[in-house]
Amino acid sequence: MTKTLLNILAITSLAWLGGCSNLGQVNAWEKGNLAKPEMTFESDPLDQRFVQHIYGSKENSSGGYGVGGGGCGCN
Amino acid sequence: MVMASAAVAAVATESVLMKKTNTSHFLPASGVLLASLVLPGLAALVAATPLNASAENAPEKSTIAIKYGTYKDSQPGWDRVQVDAPQLYVQAPIAGVWALEGSWVGDSVSGASPRWHTQTTGASRMSDYRNAGDFRVTRFFPRAAVSASVAYSNEHDYTSSAIGLDARWSTEDNNRTWTVGYGSSSDRIDNTYSGGDVVNQRKRTHEFMAGVTQVLTPSDIAQFNLTRSFGEGYYNDPYKTLDTRPNSRNTWIALARWNHHVESFDASVHSSYRYYNDTFGVRSHTLGLEWVQPAGRWTFTPGLRYYSQSAASFYLDPIMDAQGNYDAQAVLMRAVSLNGQNQSTDQRLAAFGAVTLSMKVAYALTPATTIDLKVEAYKQRTSWHLGGSGSPGLDPFDAQFVQIGLTHRF
Repeated sequence: MTKTLLNILAITSLAWLGGCSNLGQVNAWEKGNLAKPEMTFESDPLDQRFVQHIYGSKENSSGGYGVGGGGCGCN
Repeated sequence: MVMASAAVAAVATESVLMKKTNTSHFLPASGVLLASLVLPGLAALVAATPLNASAENAPEKSTIAIKYGTYKDSQPGWDRVQVDAPQLYVQAPIAGVWALEGSWVGDSVSGASPRWHTQTTGASRMSDYRNAGDFRVTRFFPRAAVSASVAYSNEHDYTSSAIGLDARWSTEDNNRTWTVGYGSSSDRIDNTYSGGDVVNQRKRTHEFMAGVTQVLTPSDIAQFNLTRSFGEGYYNDPYKTLDTRPNSRNTWIALARWNHHVESFDASVHSSYRYYNDTFGVRSHTLGLEWVQPAGRWTFTPGLRYYSQSAASFYLDPIMDAQGNYDAQAVLMRAVSLNGQNQSTDQRLAAFGAVTLSMKVAYALTPATTIDLKVEAYKQRTSWHLGGSGSPGLDPFDAQFVQIGLTHRF
């Protein structure tokens, strides 16, 4: 079930990418939208840290977003 | 010199942009123009990122942000843990090529946590305070940046210190950025202060990360990070009954993120997927989706997160009696008979799924000052486990978290 879902996701993504011409060839003057604040991956570090800290203390998984963070004994 | 060149290029680009772009969708601030010349979003690759900044340009302004977070969780008939967490973040540019960042959080934790599964009987009560801070310095070069960070966290029974190093560099057209990073943490666990029997136990972790961020189209940017970590030491939870875990845990984590700008709404869609796998035997999948909708001074961000994990190889399901009730005596007898082997009845090592619904509202009081409120509702259910029912015999688990913040740039 999980593998099927992942395969569907991968195929859909590749099909979408394949349909784009000039993929990855974007000129500086075309990056106005990409430069907008809402297009950054993490615009609010305090928000992200607070939320990831909670998930890390209530679920088994944590990490993947960067290096250099410490642990805690959270229950 | 670097900044001067970039500024000249930005001015030249502005006129082009104004001709090519619908002006109602374009932010004329010079910072945005500068950012448009480099690859945006790179900063997300590191734990302590500057607000609204790209990797290869030092921030133009200083930033101070304060936030107050609250967290409360519960299961049917029982309020469990409450956390109040004031937070502070400061970032300052130095001489155009350096950036200093620091943050602090103080968690006040109170409530109770089950000693096994989701049983209320004999729950361990807690009242703790956690002080945590980090400091980070970044040196910017033309199309590259290098950062070093330290972090420290202290509770009455747990102390953690960590360091991090990372570097990122972009291709000449700034459409692709590579990142590598290394982190190390050293933790000490000792609960004799509160009458426990865990004395001076240690845990060390090493993390290695590599990633790439790629501009795909004028409206799409994607990122892929791969993280490998190796941990050794004390992983038991001293507040769970007869909890014995392996003394090492290695993980693989893959993170893919995709931001898409929706021209017709002048909005952005953030999507993400994280795959996690560790030597405890846990595999997890995390899907995230956000819609970021600016509207004048307002920005509305509704979000949805789905998480699913398999159980750890040493997690033990509850034992039920003939009437279908939790049989605490049988659970205890089993634990005693397995004494010396890896075993845990920690709910967080079970197989379950979880959903979070969130809404963030931000309002710009002035061009330099923004206030924000974020409310999230989290629900954990074993029946929401991906691919079928999860671990049996556990109560539903709910949590609410709220954050209110203020950010000022000057």
